[in-house]
Amino acid sequence: MSTPARRRLMRDFKRLQEDPPTGVSGAPTDNNIMIWNAVIFGPHDTPFEDGTFKLTIEFTEEYPNKPPTVRFVSHMFHPNVYADGGICLDILQNRWSPTYDVSAILTSIQSLLSDPNPNSPANSMAAQLYKENRREYEKRVKACVEQSFID
Amino acid sequence: MADENDNERMDDNQKSDKMFTLKKWNAVAMWSWDVECDTCAICRVQVMDACLRCQAESKKDSYGKQDCVVVWGECNHSFHYCCMSLWVKQNNRCPLCQQEWSIQRMGK
Ligand SMILES: [Zn+2]
Ligand SMILES: [Zn+2]
Ligand SMILES: [Zn+2]
Repeated sequence: MSTPARRRLMRDFKRLQEDPPTGVSGAPTDNNIMIWNAVIFGPHDTPFEDGTFKLTIEFTEEYPNKPPTVRFVSHMFHPNVYADGGICLDILQNRWSPTYDVSAILTSIQSLLSDPNPNSPANSMAAQLYKENRREYEKRVKACVEQSFID
Repeated sequence: MADENDNERMDDNQKSDKMFTLKKWNAVAMWSWDVECDTCAICRVQVMDACLRCQAESKKDSYGKQDCVVVWGECNHSFHYCCMSLWVKQNNRCPLCQQEWSIQRMGK
């Protein structure tokens, strides 16, 4: 059965393959186009550099009218990432637009790594260190980067 | 061309609890986008073809023709009527420019 959401996801996948954005990749899981695995490479000139961070993206049949649920599988230390890997990002919640696709979602998350928003913290420790003790923040982030090589 | 709607639109904006308020809108600003305006940004199918939903359902109306029409907003962005009507139920803004959505014309 091919629903509008599934057809849209096929188009998203095609676009991701034909016009791959730098530093992100993603593909549907083998037997379910509604669940994707993705990888975001830590942006250059940020403490996340060299990290390979894995995520899962779960879509519903309401996509693209409703945003998917995006979650980091890799352990993250970031002001806007919850302990369970959930992401606090406006475009995945109240600023969602049905014109976004997987490529746009992944590049937005990638830019969130470079530009955290410590004013809407999901991890208050990370937000506090980001604002007040950048050296300690970077140390914690680098530990995640090393961890990301293993898992 | 959008001037006569400005007052109305401001009222709408004041009602909604958004982080910004549109004071004035210049419809001419969006023309540079027109190169790609043949594709519905919601379902990513050409607006002249049936939308993904109609394709999936291979929906025809009782007269036997596809009734999947194109809708243009005051902002000059165009979408399939099917795609846009689902979205405006959630959020009555153009998904591309965030302007309050009001229909300029419909057709093929
Ligand atoms: Zn459409
Ligand atoms: Zn349609
Ligand atoms: Zn628009």
